[in-house]
Formats: sequence, structure tokens, C-alpha cells
Amino acid sequence: MSKKGIIVGGIAAAVIIGIIASYSTTQFDSETLNLDMGRTHGTISTAMGSPILGNPSAPITIVEFGDYQCSQCYNWFQNTKPQIIENLIDTGKANLVFVDLAFLGRDSIPAAAASYCAEEQGKYWEYHDLLYYSQQRIDDGWANSERLKAFAFSLDLDMEMFDSCVDSGKFSKRVQFNTAEAGKQGATSTPTFFIINSEGEQQKISGAQPFSVFKDVVDSLT
Amino acid sequence: MTESIKLVFSNFPYVVLASVIFVGLLIPLLIISEYIFLEPFLIGHIAADRELGFVLIIVVSALSGLVVSMNVFRIRLMRMSKKKMGGSVFGSVIGSVAGVCGCGPLGFAIISTFGSIGGVAFSFLTTYEIPLRLAAIGFLAFVYYTTTKSLKIECQLNNNK
Repeated sequence: MSKKGIIVGGIAAAVIIGIIASYSTTQFDSETLNLDMGRTHGTISTAMGSPILGNPSAPITIVEFGDYQCSQCYNWFQNTKPQIIENLIDTGKANLVFVDLAFLGRDSIPAAAASYCAEEQGKYWEYHDLLYYSQQRIDDGWANSERLKAFAFSLDLDMEMFDSCVDSGKFSKRVQFNTAEAGKQGATSTPTFFIINSEGEQQKISGAQPFSVFKDVVDSLT
Repeated sequence: MTESIKLVFSNFPYVVLASVIFVGLLIPLLIISEYIFLEPFLIGHIAADRELGFVLIIVVSALSGLVVSMNVFRIRLMRMSKKKMGGSVFGSVIGSVAGVCGCGPLGFAIISTFGSIGGVAFSFLTTYEIPLRLAAIGFLAFVYYTTTKSLKIECQLNNNK
């Protein structure tokens, strides 16, 4: 092979390696790879929120703005959500999206960000539920980095990938975006819900209200 | 002790004052603590594990109404010092701010405005809601006891004069 051929071959190889490397880096670092950036429900951008729980084409969407350290969110999770799942989500009448309004303490943002690290491995909702089941006092260490990793371990997640995700703060900006979105929507407490129908009509529900309220609002929007 | 209550509340204005303080404290506390919801429509709801908090709010409000109006009576009719009045107001304030849920709009506003310091304060008030309310009840009960005792002595003195 001529000297010129070796040089051209070398350059071509370098370019190919560069393209492959660049593609893999983009895949690894991008928060948006698995997200529908245009996803909105009513006036709310849910693009950076959770995956949809339930049938994505259900006529009603319930958007919950919440904080993993909020005791009232836990109350709703424990007392009302099971009825929502049984009567509205499992029946295909509604679906649910969780959007972070992480403001209560220093561990609120890392906990929310960790839920997206679990989403990367297809276990967002399992991790979300585990966080609420494990909730204790605000910032008492129940959601520190070690505990967040322990939760992931108990869900059999790939720990190398999860640890790297949590330690790098990969999804912190995503959580901040969601919190800013809550502010835009006028959500000033947790939990705050927006019930939205397919025509884009929406109704706000503030606080951990009982299932009967959700049912009435869903019925009025259907 | 019931004699003091009879003495104070045989005057209708003090019944009104106590009722106004009770209702004026109870309703906002139930709204802030998310036992009463105004949106999308008016509804009251006590979740399964929140009965104790609800009962404590009622007790704090009732004791505040009782103790504050008794002290107003004491100050106005007996021309006594305002020291105990301060105590009863202090007890009411402690009982009121305890558990002002950090999740609520008030918590959000304070934390947003004061950052981490506001966060620590609200975290404390939320975390120790029940012990703080119990402490406030204990304090108000103590003020009630000393007020009735002092009313009894002062009335006896006035009658002897």
C-alpha cells in the first residue's frame, strides 16, 4: 500500500471512530434521548416529567406536582392514589404523570433526580413508589445519596450505571425544569394536581384531597 | 375552676370573644393544615392517619379562646397586669404555627423567599407538629390554671374590701 493510501485510510478510520464516539457520547449523556420533548398536557409541559402511568391515549390525564419529602404527598400516595389507580387508571379512563416540585429540603432534588436514573433502567414507577414508602422526616438522611443507591440496589438496578447517574447529578436540571414548570402553572404547594381532558380543558386540585373529589372532576371533564 | 369560667362567661361579650377567637383560629388552621379544601370546591377531609392532628387543632383553638378571653376579662375588670395575657397569646401562637405544613402554599412562599433558613424553620415546624401542639396545649393549660387561681384570689380580695 502506498504512503498516500495509508494516510487517507488513517484519516477515514479516525473520522469513523470520531463519529462513533460522538454518537455514543450523545446517547450516554443526553437527558432527552428517551423523552418526547413536545409532550404537553393542557398548558403544562410534561416533557421532563415522569413516564405516563396507564394508557397514554386515555381521555383524561392527571398531572401531579409533588415532592418526595412532602408528607401530604405521602398521604395522597397512601390514601387516594390506590383508588385512582383502581378506578381511573386501570380502567383506561385516565393516566397519570408525575412532575417534580422539589422545594422542601436539600434532599428533594437529588431524590427526584434519582427517580430519572431509575427511569433509564425502566423502573421509574417502582423507584417512585419506593421513595414514598420510605419517606421519613425532611432532610433527616432518608433520601441521602447512600440511601438513594440502596433503594436502587433493592430494585436490582445496574448499580454502576445508577451510581454514576446519581453522582454526576445528571438529572438535576431536569428536576429544576419541572419545578420551574410548576411555578408557571401556579402550583405553590404539594401535592397540586391538574386534571386535563383531551380538549385541553383543565381543572386544578390543591392538596391531598380524597378520591371523591378526583372522581367528580374527572366526571365533569369527561 | 368552673367558678372562674362561670364568672367570666356570664358576661355575653366574653362568650362572643371566646367564640370569635376559637373560630378565627380553627378555620384558618384547618385550611392551612389541609383538613379543609377550598378548591375546586369546599370540602373537609380527615385522612386515616391524621385524626390526632385534627383533634389537637380543635383543643388548641378552644383553649386559646378560653384563656385569651379570661385574661381580657381579668385585665379589664381587675385592672391587673398584662403579663398573663402575653403568656396566653404565646401559647396560642406556638399551637398555631406548629405543623403549618411545609408542603402548603405558606411553606412554599416562605421557603422560596428565605431559602434554606426558611426551609429549616418549616421543616422543624412540620416535623415536630404533634409535640409542638402538645407543648402549646400544656402551656395554655398552665396559663388557664394560673388565671383561674388568680381570678379566684382577686375576686375574694375584691369581695373582702
